[in-house]
Parts: sequence; structure tokens; C-alpha cells
Amino acid sequence: MTLFHFGNCFSLAYFPYFITYKCSGLSEYNAFWRCVQAGATYLFVQLCKMLFLATFFPTWEGGAGVYDFVGEFMKATVDMADLLGLHLVMSRNAGKGEYKIMVAAMGWATAELIMSRCIPLWVGARGIEFDWKYIQMSFDSNISLVHYIAMAAVVWMFTRYDLPKSFRLPVTILLGLCVYKGFLMELFVHVFLLGSWTALLVKAVLTGAISLCSLFLFVTLVHSN
Amino acid sequence: MFEEASEVLENMLKWSFPLSLVLFLVLVCPLRAEAAHEFSVYRMQQYDLQGQTYGSRNAILNTEARSVEAEVLSRRCVMMRLADFSYEKYQKALRQSAGAVVIILPQNMSTMPQDIVQQFMELEPELLATETIVPVYFALEDEELLSIYMQTQVSSSSQGSSSAAEVLLHTATANGFQMVTSGAQSKAVSDWAITSLEGRLSGSGGEDLPTIVLVAHYDSFGVAPWLSYGADSNGSGVAILLELARLFSRLYSYKRTHAGYNLLFFLSGGGKFNYQGTKRWLEDNLDHTDSSLLQDNVAFVLCLDTLGNSDDLYLHVSKPPKEGSPQHALLKELETVVADQHPDLKFSMVHKKINLADDTLAWEHERFGIRRLPAFTLSHLESHRSPARHSIMDMRSVSSSLEGAGEATAGPHVDLAKLSRNTKVIAETLARVIYNLTEKGVDGDLEIFTEQMQVQEDQLASLVDWLTAQPRAAQLLDKDSSIVNTLEYHLSRYLKDVKRHLVRADKRDPEFVFYDQLKQTMNAYRVKPAIFDLLLAVCIASYLGVLYLAVQNFGLLYGFLRRVTAPRVKQH
Repeated sequence: MTLFHFGNCFSLAYFPYFITYKCSGLSEYNAFWRCVQAGATYLFVQLCKMLFLATFFPTWEGGAGVYDFVGEFMKATVDMADLLGLHLVMSRNAGKGEYKIMVAAMGWATAELIMSRCIPLWVGARGIEFDWKYIQMSFDSNISLVHYIAMAAVVWMFTRYDLPKSFRLPVTILLGLCVYKGFLMELFVHVFLLGSWTALLVKAVLTGAISLCSLFLFVTLVHSN
Repeated sequence: MFEEASEVLENMLKWSFPLSLVLFLVLVCPLRAEAAHEFSVYRMQQYDLQGQTYGSRNAILNTEARSVEAEVLSRRCVMMRLADFSYEKYQKALRQSAGAVVIILPQNMSTMPQDIVQQFMELEPELLATETIVPVYFALEDEELLSIYMQTQVSSSSQGSSSAAEVLLHTATANGFQMVTSGAQSKAVSDWAITSLEGRLSGSGGEDLPTIVLVAHYDSFGVAPWLSYGADSNGSGVAILLELARLFSRLYSYKRTHAGYNLLFFLSGGGKFNYQGTKRWLEDNLDHTDSSLLQDNVAFVLCLDTLGNSDDLYLHVSKPPKEGSPQHALLKELETVVADQHPDLKFSMVHKKINLADDTLAWEHERFGIRRLPAFTLSHLESHRSPARHSIMDMRSVSSSLEGAGEATAGPHVDLAKLSRNTKVIAETLARVIYNLTEKGVDGDLEIFTEQMQVQEDQLASLVDWLTAQPRAAQLLDKDSSIVNTLEYHLSRYLKDVKRHLVRADKRDPEFVFYDQLKQTMNAYRVKPAIFDLLLAVCIASYLGVLYLAVQNFGLLYGFLRRVTAPRVKQH
């Protein structure tokens, strides 16, 4: 029954993407190829980030229990490249704001799903040994989808020339939160010693909060004209 | 979307056919997952002796674990702890055609109460006597194994719970364990050579001197070969033999004390399997050689078997010695030495006729008796059927090696003080025989082995420690094993003409057959029952349904937010 378990995890991870693609109307716009392009940009950006990290950041030599706050913070800063990548994708796609955001986010998130989740699921969930972490991984990919949509929306808003002054600050804060979300999550887990399910819950809540705020700002921006 | 997808895929496939072939191979290949716990298990004995099969016939195992209280045991791996072990439960598991039995032994046997150890020792031969196709394994307990056992016990005992909701909740939360061994099926080892070692000290004064043969078998026996350390039986015998070799070689190195007896020392292998080493050695020496020490003038043969403990001493004979014979002299000298020098020792002679109708011979001297050589066995056990002679409980922990008195373990063990006392008794007795001291009128309480010629207790201690540091089952000691080599080296320090003697089973009608796969690595994988996967599928399907509805109705949230922000715009 372990192939069945793999099927469970895979459907849990992949179907929301499928549903989102179908129901957001992207299929009407023949956006598949554009999403693939966005995915290719994701790969390129990850490669550049890895090279940069490997070249300029020394390996952490300290003990196993101590968490290297400064080092991890610097590494998270490199994740700004994600924002640049998203911006690049969105600027190359002509169209309405929503279309751009959705295309960029879908392509980005799907590429991340395939690259970072498929192989662990295939290798791990298919074995005899059962572990809850595969279900957690699939849930995590759902949360990532929402996160990337929010991030794309915030990036788009940041680059709008007609962004009102009062929105600058919230958008910048949200941008920062998006980039350092991973770092914050690890901090929480380390300091409060959260269990894996609790950490997942916290991550979901955090992502939900970020996405609601960005949605709120987006609606206000789009419909304030 | 699918048309575009198919187009893209078509393009990709055209250029990456080799890649997809590799991918296909990767997908199809079998998987090796990481286990919850990996541990060594030791299989029960499996051997054929003189055509009769003993022990567990099977080695592979890939079944779910259950504890013995569960109702359904068939094709499951039954796990039992030594503390809860009983023969009825074992029989129950076998009757219900269990897939395997794993018995968990504590790391430190001394924590077990005496009666459990005693009961297990008595059950060992019965376990072996019932030939079974169920693989029986022994494992040493550690924390993870204990937690696996506890979880299995909990889930097994609650299988009788009735309500469906409870069962459902139980399947969602409980952990099952799948036990898998990595090895292959057991098969007979072909051409196994049992090694025996002999060495001699030649007497002074020409040809045709009488010979005294000292014999001890160096292998051990227990219900699991890898757990048979054989401290008392027969590590004590080997240690005494080596110490005697040292003492007498010292005596023989001085002209004044060089006696007129040849001393032949023999360390026999395969002793626990009906003394195979001795049997073949005798055949070779008496039938196939022209001249051998054994053919000429043998005064007597003294076999040492289990002498590491207790204040009893028994001399087992198959024929009471006649007056005036060298054997009678030995008996008398033994009585003298015990009476005068060690009155706390209780000595007696046990007469048992050789019964050739039995499956196996009782003591080692019977092999010599069959070939008409006068022989005795000296042991602190009264009966050859004593469970102490073939138990895995017979062990000595290496850490407390120099404590002298030995720890108070529950099972048979070696008490160093008593071992060295027994060594002294035998040495004094032999000295009195070979120097003819009683006839010369020397008193019974003259001690020869004192001061420089003392029996060295720490030498005995280190010998016993070395012997019990690894299992010495006959199936594990081939001719290249380190134990055999070290024994040969040790003998050659004190004796001359140290020779090896090999026994191989006859091809057509083998006297003994050993089987392999005696030590395996067992993996315990955490598994969930099949119904759990179905349950999970249902939950995921409902989650996806909810998600679909949410996404479809995303417009509602959007409109709500719009309405919330719109009044503000109006206010501007």
C-alpha cells in the first residue's frame, strides 16, 4: 500500500495547483507556456543563489545545538533574489495585473514543487516505513502556493508607479516578511521548540496573514482608481 | 491545456529518450528505505547430527510484529521478552503457525532473577528438540527495541476492542512494525573443518613410557550459536588444561623433575556435537597410523569438563578401575589430595555404563572407552544432562575480570577461586601419580605447587576472560579462526610437537551438518495498516473538495474586501 501512500501525498501536493490553474481562468489565456517560462526563471534564480551562497558564505563551524542567527539571517537576505526573479517574470508578461501575478506565481510555485518535493516524496513515501513528514511536506507545498501568490502580488504592487505614499510602508513590510518568512519560521521552531505539526500550523497562519494583508492592499490599490 | 502540454512533452521526449529510459529504470528499481530501528539478531541452532535434524529450519522473515497475547498469530512475528517467556506461549505461537519468533534477552543477564534463568536453561534443550520451520531469533534488548516491543504489546492486546470508532481511531494513531531480515535462506555449510589441537611433553628415560592423556573440548553450546560463550562449560576445562600444560612443562624442563611419563594434551573441537574431534582423532591414531602414543602404553585419559565452580567434584567412569592399575592409582591419589589438602571439597566417583543406544554419548571419556582406552571425566556436575552444559546463560562478563570471586550471576558461571583450587587439585594429583609419591611414602598434605610453581590465578582469569569474550560454538570456529590460532600458539609455548587435526564430515553419510545464516540484521519498519491509507485518501479527497469550493468562490472574498474598501474610497 505504500505506492498508495505516495499517491495520497502526491495528490495532496499537486491537486491544489491544478485546481488553482483551472479555476483562476489562466487556461483561457493560453498561459501554460508562460508558466513554464516562469518555472525556468525560477531554476535560473535558484542556481545563481546557490552559486552565490557557496562562494561567499563560509560553512558554519560551531556546535550542533547553537543556531547561527547572523549567518542564517544573511542567507535569508540572499532570498531577495527571488523577488528580483518574480519581478523579471512579471515585467516580461504583458497584461492585466492579476494575470501577471497569477502566471508568475503559478509557474514559480509549480517549479518549486517539482524540484524540491517530487523526489523526496517518490523516494520516501514509497518505502515500507511510514512517516508523517511526507503528508506535512505536501501540506507545506499548498502553503507555498499561497505564499508565492502573495509574494508576487506584493512585488507587483511595489513596482507600481502609482502606488500611494501611504501604501509604501505596509508594502515594504510585507515584502520583508515574505523574504524572511523562512528565517522567522526556523527561529520560532528553534526558540519555542515546536513540534512538526505545530510548526506547520504556525506557518499556515503566518502565510494566511501575509496573504490577507496583501490581498487587502491589492484590492484597495486596484479599485481606488 | 492538454494540447499544449502534449506538444511540449512531445518535443521534450524526442530529444530526451535516453533520459527517459534512465528515468524508467530508476522508477522500476526496488527501494531500500530507512528503518525505524536496525538491530542484530541471532538465530537458533540448526544442525543435523547423525542424520537427525535439530532446531529451526528457516532464516528469512518479512512479517508484522505481534506480541504473544494477540489473538491472530499466524504468519506474524511473535515477540517475547525473556521475563515473560514460557514454553506454553512458545508452543502456542508454533501451533498457530506464526511467521517467526523473536525472543528478547536483557543486555545484562545478571539483572534477571534466578528462577527465570533456571527455567530458561531447562527449556533450551526442549526448544532445540522440537524441529521447527519457524525461524527463531534472539535479540539483545536496547531502548528502541524495548519501545517497539511495548508498542506492539499495546496494539496487540487492544485488538479485541469492539466499537468501530475505537478501531478507526486506533488505526489512525497506532504504529505497526514490519520485521524484515536482510539475509538469504539458510543452507548447509559444505566442507566445514572442525579443528583439534594436540601437543606433548615427552617423559625421560627411553622408549615405551606410559602416556597420560589430558583432554578438554574447547567449543561451547547454547540455544543460539552466537550467544554461546561457554564460560564454565567448557571454558573452565580449557583454562585448566592450559595451566597444567604450563606447570608441567616447567617441571619437565628440569632434569631432576623430568618424570617418566609422556604427557599428551588434546584440545578437541566439536565436543558438544558428540565429541567429533575426539572420535576422528582416535580413529586416525589407532587405525591409520603405525605408531602413535595412543597405541602403546596409555596409563589413563583424563577429560576435563566443567570445573569452574561449586564444591563438588565427580570422577565419571564407565568401568570401575581395577586394583593395581594406573587408573586405580589416579583414583586413590585424588581421594588423598582432596581429603588432606581440600577437605571442603566433596569428591565421589560416578559409575555409568556406556549406552551405545543413546543418540549422543554422555561424557568425553566414553569415546576413549569405546576404543578400549581407560578414561575418566572430571567435572563438578553430577549428570551429563545438566542444563549448565549447554546453555547460553553460561557466560562471564568481561568487565569484572579481576574481582577474584566473580559476580553473583544467576546462571552458571566461573568462580575463579574455585577454578584455581580445582586446578591445584588436579595438578597435585597428577604429580603424585607421575612421581609415584604414595609408594615413596610422601604424605598426602605435601603441596608441590606452591610459591614459584603456584597455580597462577590471574593467568586463569585472563584465559577465561579471553575465552568468553567471543562465542565459541563449533559452527563459528573454522580452522582459520583466531581462537584456534591463539590456542595453537599458546600450546606451542609450553608443549612440543603441536599439531592440528581436522575433521570433515563424510560426504555420503555425514555425521554432522552445520547451517549458515546464524546472525542477521533485522530491520523494524514502522508501518500503518492498509485501512489507514484508505482513510487518509478519504480525508484528502474531502480536503481537496473543500479547496475546490473555496477557489471557485474566491470571488466572494474578493467582493467582500472590495465592499470593505469601497466606502473608504467614497469617503475620500
